[in-house]
Order: sequence, then C-alpha cells, then structure tokens
Amino acid sequence: MTVPALEIKNLTKTFPGVKALDRATLTLMPGTVHALMGENGAGKSTLIKVVTGILHGDSGTINVFGENVHFDGPTDAMDAGIGVVHQERNVVRGFTVGENICLSKMPRKGPLVDWPEVKIQAKRCLDMLDLAIDPDTPMTELSAAQTQLVEIARGLYTETRVLLLDEPTASISVDEAMRLFRVIERLKAEGTAILFVSHKLEEVFEHCDSITVLRDGKTVVESQPLAGFTRDEVIDKMVGRALAHLEAPQRSVDMTTVPALALNALSTTAGHRNVSFELRRGEILGLYGLVGAGRTELARSILGLEGVVAGTVKVKGEDVRIRSVREALQKYRIGYVTENRKEEGVFLLQPITTNIAVTVWSKLAKFMGYVPAKDEQSLVAEQVAQLDIKISSQDQMAGQLSGGNQQKVSLAKWLAANTEVLIIDEPTVGIDVRTKRSFYDLIWKLADEGMAILLISSDLSEMITLADRIAVMERFVVRGEIENTHHYEEMSQAVIRLIHPTSTPAAGE
Amino acid sequence: MKATMRFLSSSPNVTLAIIVAMGVVLLGFKSGGEFFGPVSVTTFFRFLAIPILIGLAQMITLSVGQLNLAVGSIGGFAACLAGVVVTDFGVPQWIGALIAVVVGGLAGIVNGVLIVVTKINGFIVTLATMTILMGAQYALVGTRTISADAWPSVTQFGKSEILGIPVIFIMTLIVAGLVSFYFAKMVGGRRLLATGDNETAAEYGGISIDRSLITAHGLSGLLAGVAAFVAVATLPGVNQSVGGDWLLPSFAAPIIGGVVLTGGAVAVLGTVLAATIVRLVDSARAEFQLAPAWVNLVVGAVVLGTVALGRVRANRAEALIVQQRVRAAEEALAEVEVVR
Amino acid sequence: MTTVMARVKKTAANPRVFLLFLIVLLVVLFGSLKPAFLNGPFVLAPLMSSIAIFTVVGLAQMVALSVGHMNLAVGQMASLGAMVMGLCYDVFRMPLILGLLVGLVAGAAVGALTGWIIVKTGVNSFIVTLAMSFALIGLVPAMYSWLSEGAAFTSKPAGLDLIGRQTFASICMGNTCGTDAVPLIILPAILIMGLVWYLYSRTRLGREILVTGSNVKAAELSGVPTGRRLMFVHTLSGTLAAAAGFMVAASVGSFTPAIGSEFMLPSFVGPILGGTLLAGGFVSVIGTFLGITLTLVIRKGLDLFGVGLETMNVLLGVILLVALSTERFRLASGGRRRGGERPSGEPAQTDDPDQPDEALKDPPESVQTEDKELAR
Repeated sequence: MTVPALEIKNLTKTFPGVKALDRATLTLMPGTVHALMGENGAGKSTLIKVVTGILHGDSGTINVFGENVHFDGPTDAMDAGIGVVHQERNVVRGFTVGENICLSKMPRKGPLVDWPEVKIQAKRCLDMLDLAIDPDTPMTELSAAQTQLVEIARGLYTETRVLLLDEPTASISVDEAMRLFRVIERLKAEGTAILFVSHKLEEVFEHCDSITVLRDGKTVVESQPLAGFTRDEVIDKMVGRALAHLEAPQRSVDMTTVPALALNALSTTAGHRNVSFELRRGEILGLYGLVGAGRTELARSILGLEGVVAGTVKVKGEDVRIRSVREALQKYRIGYVTENRKEEGVFLLQPITTNIAVTVWSKLAKFMGYVPAKDEQSLVAEQVAQLDIKISSQDQMAGQLSGGNQQKVSLAKWLAANTEVLIIDEPTVGIDVRTKRSFYDLIWKLADEGMAILLISSDLSEMITLADRIAVMERFVVRGEIENTHHYEEMSQAVIRLIHPTSTPAAGE
Repeated sequence: MKATMRFLSSSPNVTLAIIVAMGVVLLGFKSGGEFFGPVSVTTFFRFLAIPILIGLAQMITLSVGQLNLAVGSIGGFAACLAGVVVTDFGVPQWIGALIAVVVGGLAGIVNGVLIVVTKINGFIVTLATMTILMGAQYALVGTRTISADAWPSVTQFGKSEILGIPVIFIMTLIVAGLVSFYFAKMVGGRRLLATGDNETAAEYGGISIDRSLITAHGLSGLLAGVAAFVAVATLPGVNQSVGGDWLLPSFAAPIIGGVVLTGGAVAVLGTVLAATIVRLVDSARAEFQLAPAWVNLVVGAVVLGTVALGRVRANRAEALIVQQRVRAAEEALAEVEVVR
Repeated sequence: MTTVMARVKKTAANPRVFLLFLIVLLVVLFGSLKPAFLNGPFVLAPLMSSIAIFTVVGLAQMVALSVGHMNLAVGQMASLGAMVMGLCYDVFRMPLILGLLVGLVAGAAVGALTGWIIVKTGVNSFIVTLAMSFALIGLVPAMYSWLSEGAAFTSKPAGLDLIGRQTFASICMGNTCGTDAVPLIILPAILIMGLVWYLYSRTRLGREILVTGSNVKAAELSGVPTGRRLMFVHTLSGTLAAAAGFMVAASVGSFTPAIGSEFMLPSFVGPILGGTLLAGGFVSVIGTFLGITLTLVIRKGLDLFGVGLETMNVLLGVILLVALSTERFRLASGGRRRGGERPSGEPAQTDDPDQPDEALKDPPESVQTEDKELAR
C-alpha cells in the first residue's frame, strides 16, 4: 500500500457569510493525475490556497506523504515539496521572465543573486514546456497566454512531489495545452502527484486518473477513479440536479419592433472593428467570447467610456452619440452590470441604500440638491423586495452580503433607474449554484417584461441556456451571429467553428 | 515638435542628463566662468550630498509602495543627538557621528515595525513619527545651536577634498552605488522590488511582506542617518532647524528621477541627476540673486511637468496596445470575409 | 436587534462619543487642577478661536480625504487666499466682504487647478498637491516681497477686528452683552461646519462625492461624473483653506506669508481622529471638530502646566498612533497595510470567486454606526 502524497481530511474554511470549504476531503496518490472539479465558487481555489499555506484552514488535517503538516506560509509548503500554479496570474511585471520563474527560491551566491544560474534554471523550466521564450525577456512584453505559460513554468521550478495546477489551461491555446500535458505525463511517470483543476471536461477525461468534485465547499465525489464516470454524471455532480437539467422557457421576441439598441459597423478607440448587431425589446442577445476578446470593452464603448472611430450607435432607431455613463443612463436608459462586482459593481463599505440609490439621486434631488432620505429608502425597499435581496437592514454594508446578494444589489440600481437596455457582463461569476438558478429566472423575467438584454459571458453553457441569439466575438471583431437552439453539442460546435473558421473544431467543454 | 517630445520622453535619464548639462553651461556662461572655479565647484558638490541622500532615502520607501514623511525629522533628530552626545556627554566625536547613522536606521526600523504591527497606513505612521521626532529634536537642543567646534575632526572630514571634489560627495556617490547594487544584484533588494510591484505575487513566492516593509523603512532611515552625518560634518553647527526643509526635496528627487509612487521600481541614477538639477536651480537662484523661495516654485513646476510627461509616455504605451489590437481585429475581420 | 443594550454598546463604540468623553474629562481635569484654565477672556476665548480656525483647516483636508485624496498644499492654499485678501484690502481698498470673496475665489481657483491636474493626468493627489505646495511656497512670499512693504499687508478693513479678535462681549442688546469667553470667530466656523455637514449628509452632490471616494470605478460605472466630483472636491478644499487663511489673518490682525505654515499636521490629525477614512468614502464633520478640539485642549492644558511645545508635538504623534492602532486592533481585520494610495493599481486579472474580501471580514463597526447617523 503506497502512502498518499497528499491527504486532506475534513478541511473547513469559513469566510464571513460563506463556508468556502465544508469538511472537504481528498486523497491524492503519487504518480497519478487527480481532477478537482466544481463550479466557480465551489471552493477549489480556496482548497489550493490552504494546501499551499496562503490561507489557514479553520479545522481539518493535511498530510503530505503520511506526515501531518501545518503551513504558516507559502515557503513552508514549498519546502514540503508542494508546487503550485495559481489561477490568478500573479507575476512581478517589472521583472524578467527568468526572475519570475525563480522568484520563490532565488539562486544565490551569498547575499547576491546568481544571475547566470537564474537564466539556466529558467531555461530548464521553459524547455520542459518547449517554450522559446528568452529568460531575459521583460514580463511586460508577453501576451496573456505567454504569461500563463510562464506561471506554469514557475510551478515546475522547484523539486516538487506534489504539483497543484489551478486552471492552468484557462487562457492558452490547444497547442500550448498539449505541451503542458506532455510535461504532466512525464512528471506522473516520475512519480509526482498532480492535482488538476479545470473546467474543460475533455482535458480532464483525457488526462486524469481520478476525480474529486466539490460543490458549495462540500466533497460530493471523493477521490474515485475517473473511469467509472460519464461526462454527464460529472456535470450532474458539479452543478446538482437543479441546473444540469435546466430547460430554457419558451420565449418569443417580436422581431418587427425598432431595435432598442443597434450597432452599425462600429469601430472604437478600444480597437473594435466593424461591429454590428441589433437588440430588440424583450430579447436576450448573447455576446460570447474568451477573456480578452473585447466584450467588456464593447460594453464600455456603448456607454461612452471609449470613443467611436467609425460607424454608429442607434437607440430606438435614432443615431446617438453617448459621451458618458450618466448620459447613457439618463438620456438613453442603458444600464451596465459589470463583470467585476467587487471592484466596479458595488461600494463594499457603503450601505445598501447608497448602493442602489446611486443611479436615482439626480431624479430624487430637490431644491439645492437636497435628497430626502425617505424617498431614497422607499425606492430601495421596493427593489430589495422585488429582487428578494437578503439584507438585515438598508444600513448594512454591501461588503457584508454574500456574492449572490451583492450581484443583485449591483443589478438593482439599474432597475431602480428604469433602464430599458441592460448590458449584463458575466452575471454569475462567483455565485453558488442555487443563486445562479434564481438569476437565470430573473434575467428571463426581465426580458419577458420588455427589457432588452445584452448578455456578455465566457461561460458557453450559460450562454446556451439563456440567450435567444449568440454573437461570437474574437479579437475585437464579431465573427458571426447564430440563433440559439439550446442544444449544447450543436451550439458549442457552431461557436467553435466561428472562432476557428479554418481549423478543425478543437476540444470543447 | 513632436519629434522633440518623443526624444525628451524616451529615456528619463538622458533627458535629465541633458538638462543638467544645459544648466551647467548656462550657469557657467552667466557667471563668466566663475561657476567652474575651484571654490564654486567644491561648494556645489558639498551641498549636493544631502539632497541625493534624502532623495535615495525616500526612493527606497517608494520602492515598496510606501512613503516616509519622517525622512527630515529622522535626519534632524539624529544630527542633534550626535551633537548633544558629543558636546554634553563627552562621547568621542566619531562615535557621535556613528550614532547619528545608527539612530537613523533604528528610527526607520521603528517606523517599519509600527506599520507592520499596527497595520496603520504608512502615511499616517510616518506623519506621527515625524511629529514625535520633531518634538524630540526640539527637546534635545531647544533654541540653542550646538557648534561644530566640538567635533573638529569630523568637520575636517566634511571639508576635505580630493582634486577639488569634496570627500563627503564621493562618499555620497559610493552610497548611491551601493543602493544601486543592492537593488540590482542582491536578493534583499529584489525582494523589495517584487513586494512593491505585486504584493500578492511576492507573497505567493514566499517573500514576507512584513519583512520587506521593515527593511525598506530601516534602510530609508539609515540613509537619512547618513544624511544627518553629512549635516554634522558640513554645517557650522546643529540646531532644531536641521532636517526641517528636507521633506519636499526628498520627494522631488525620486519623482523627477522617474520613480513611481506605486512601487516596484527604483531609479538611482535618475534620483542623483534630479537632485543635481534641484541643486543647479539653487545655484542659479544665487547667481541671479533671487529670493530663495523661487527655488521651490521652480522645483514644484518641474515636478508637475515630470508628472505630465509621464502621462504622455503612458498614453503612448496605451496607444501602442490599441494599435496591436486593431491589427489583430483587421486580420480577424479578413478571415471572416474569406469564410463568407 | 435594536435593544437598548445594543444601542448603548454601539454608541460607546463610536469614536466620536469617545472623543467627546475625553474632551470633557480633560476640561474637568485641567479646570480643577488649574482654575486658570477656565479663565474666559485669556484662556477659553483664544482656545475656542484656534479651535474654530483649525476646524476649518481640518474640514479643508477632510473634503479631500472624502474622495481618498490628500491635500498637502492646504496650508499654502490658505496663505495664497490670505495674500489675495490682504492685497485687496491693502492695495485696492476693498470692503471686508468683497475682499474675502475675491480671496475665496483665489483659493477655489488654485484648488480647481490642482483638481484639474489630478483628474487630467491621473497622477496621485499626493504628488500633485506636494508639487503645488512647493510652487506656492515659492510664489506667495515672492509676491509679498514684491507687492507689500515689510512682507505683510497690514490694512484692516472695517469689521476685520470685530470678527477676528473680539468676543460676544462686543455684541450688546440694550444693556446685556454676550460673554467674553466666546470669540466671534466661532460664527464663520459654525457656518462652514453646517454647510459641509449639509453637503455630505443631505445632498446628491455630497453622496456622489462619497461614492466616488468609496470606489471611483464603480461610481463612474453607476453614472456619477467622477472627474467633475474630484475637481469639485479640490476646489472646495482650496476654498475652505482660503477661509481658514482669512480667519488666521483676522485673528492676528495682518496678512503675512507665514499664514498656513502650521496647517498640515493638524489638518490630518483632526479628521483622522474623528473617524474620517483615509481611503475615502466616509467623513465626519463633528468628528473633525472633536478631533481638533481634543488636540487643542491638550495643547492648551499642557501649556498652562508649563510643558513645552516639543513635548506636545511628541504627545500629538503618540495620540495619533495610539488612537488609530486601538481602532485597528478592535477591528482585527486582516486587511492590507499599504502606504500611500494606489489610484491606478491594476485590477486583478481574474476575480477570485472563492474568496470574499478578507478586509471585510469584520467591517468597521464605527463606520456602520456613523453612516446611519448620516443617513438619518
């Protein structure tokens, strides 16, 4: 009987209002690739952060090769032979590629950095991934994909017996991913234990031996051989019955009305070229694209935060020139629910009242800008009731709410302002499965009530569930638009064909 | 015009060096060559030492994204303490000078520890220690001026020169060289830069943020202590006003020299050149017989100008990114056309 | 939820209540140990006069802090405003109110310029206001030596002495006159406090400023014209600084370049002791007043005991540190401890969905209570 490389037992980690990990359990054997699956917010990243000493668990035990460990910081985990590639790209942008790779353990001669050795070591890691990047290249010159590859190279730098990979393939090409898997196979053959987090089922089924599934911080599948599972079963386990078999309601859109919002061959200062679409009342138009495809920038352009170079924006058939968010809101009734809730969506340290009423103050203001607190509160109370936002009082600060309720607050401010066009950017990132379901219902309801919705998402299954039509964006250009049939296989093939018109369809989710 | 702008904004150090050269030529011309006379040159460099040292002291805290408002009061307190221990307690003069340096470093470490332990914003902590040290400095010397006669050998060192260059200035350049070496070659310096650049990345890489903050503040205090030593060695005496006017120049030098407040970068040469420019402005002021206040006006304007120039540079970098995007977008568009 | 106990607990935790308690305690202590402390015309009146002036100085800084900015040039803006007023009275022989208005406009203009530079260049307010203070430290004395004799404007328009140096004893209704323990200069200070309080607690503009300070990106994306709000705040800061400059000049009786040179430290101490957040998004007018009052009461009291200026400085710094660190320990937050602001910090590339904001583990209770107060 071999000793498990990594054994996590009943690990619990609580954040205010959220149990990120609830007695999570996992056994990782040496010489295997173990998939850790789960929806956004299921607790995967938290688990990795606890195992690497960045966060501290509330209770539970961690054993590395049979030895109970307690890490005070990342260095302890490294010393114990645990290597990691984090999900977030956290690089020192002012340093070179080589120095970033060696950051965790600088080769040194006494107090001096051993620069030649940095180069040698970095080269070794880059070579493992067949990367032709010079270790002396400044990080600022790398593309997003290259940055991610350097992050991976960094995980290979130290002698590791346990390697944790948190969505390493999220923003790299299929080709680059193949190289990574070759390295993984090699490490596996050498006896390294690998924990692999990914949303891409294809990858998981092709390269992993066993699987653990987390849902809302709980272990729902515990370290079982992957061979016993079908794809559908894994999805079922990840999302729960409620969402796995979610049927889109029958919806019909009156296509004869004047489009509520239309772009006509729009080119912007953000770099978009020739973008066109029409969005009608009661319609949900999906704008699908990978990270960096220019979706959020398009939303910003519509709101007047980026300039128009050529082409036109039409609101209800009229050519308009929107110069600020305020104008978009007050004159054209366009609202924008940001993808980046914490940084752009809510005021974490302000009360709920402020968070929702912010869009309507100019409407409520009386003589000399006086805003009666009563008017403000009753308007907010209306939205809180309508969206079923769970708060203890309006004075509660937004930062104290759960992610789902924060997202509702971020949406409520636009409903309070009676917007007619709503741009919703990645509405369910970091939201638990049940809230997600209620959000889908809410979006359908808003559309049924006549709201024109531009839904931006990089989650293809979400898009296929929600949208009426899907426009696919890549490299700041709309590659094409398709009617949504709500059939996952068919739609995902069609979308991939739009992104890679010349190549054969690559592995989807 | 556009080409000039581009050239001026290409490399800060080149720009700064050109400005220094122009200033020197202008001053030399205006003074009829007197500016290049041995006395002027020696004086110029002797009083350049402190601006460089305090600029570097500030630069080190900026490198981790912190501020040190207490640079001047650490220096002033350390200088006065040295004066008091030599004069009132009969401590040997060189030990006294050493005490100034050590006390500076200790005060910096206290700053760092306070920031780490109390988790209060560095601005407030150093604002508070600035006040405290200013009070302590006054408590030490009150209204008297402690004459430099009590430490003749240190003063002699301050006056000595090699080929017309003050030894104290050469020492300052050596310190600048060491700082540069520290940040370029030593593990400790790289850790500070990593911390300032991306705290999370540094933390994930096993670098202790707390230690970086304490180190940066400690080194900053140490350099302020060295500046205090220079003050002791070059001034006719120390009193409560020493260090009182160091705060603003300490920021001017690194900022004009190209250091950003957000951390992650240092510019030792830039800081030295910028301090030289400020010193030139001061010399010019004397040459043109203007009120000392004008120096501040000019330095203030130069800092604002530098900042605006930095914005021009950033805008150009952004424009470059958009250009790349547009190229990619046009390629993508062409592909779509082909498929259709 | 709202049992009496809970309310009492919350009130006690409120830093402003604590400040008030400390002030009362100290006044009683000083008064009983040194009865001279309670002398009206010689101790209380000058004390209140400086409280009035420095409260306005504190408010000038507080409005900048409300958006997470700083105004390091608060003293120099005051000296510029005072210089313009002195010029108006001395050279142009303007009446009191007109000269005051011109001076306030000058303060507003330099504040607006500062704000404009900050907004247009996107550079940290720390640097811009620092540079601005450099420039003004150079400009103002030069102007004085150019335009005045003896580097001061000494003409006094009618009413300047009344507002600056007299007490309610000068205001008589028939035979009853006011007390000589309260200077008239508190009137403009009260007026300014009222206006600033109204701005932040009652108006749309004030709310928009606070959300801009709380999260500038979110504010912009919610339709708040953040650039204009930031400029307004710096304009207001300059105006208030100029007002404080006027009050100093009125209380000493002449306009000199030295006005404002002592403003920087108290301008931060007042608002911060009073609970205004350095990061922006929350202010307290009353807190600023109480913070200033506490420091000045201590200063005056120790002065009477013959304690020197240096010890008071040390004490002031210690108070600042102790007050803030106790606050921090109470919150026990695992948040960041960065130095200066980071206005242009790049956003994280991927949102970390698993992890709620750690800094919010225990949101500041005091902030919560206070926001309620403001909302009411």
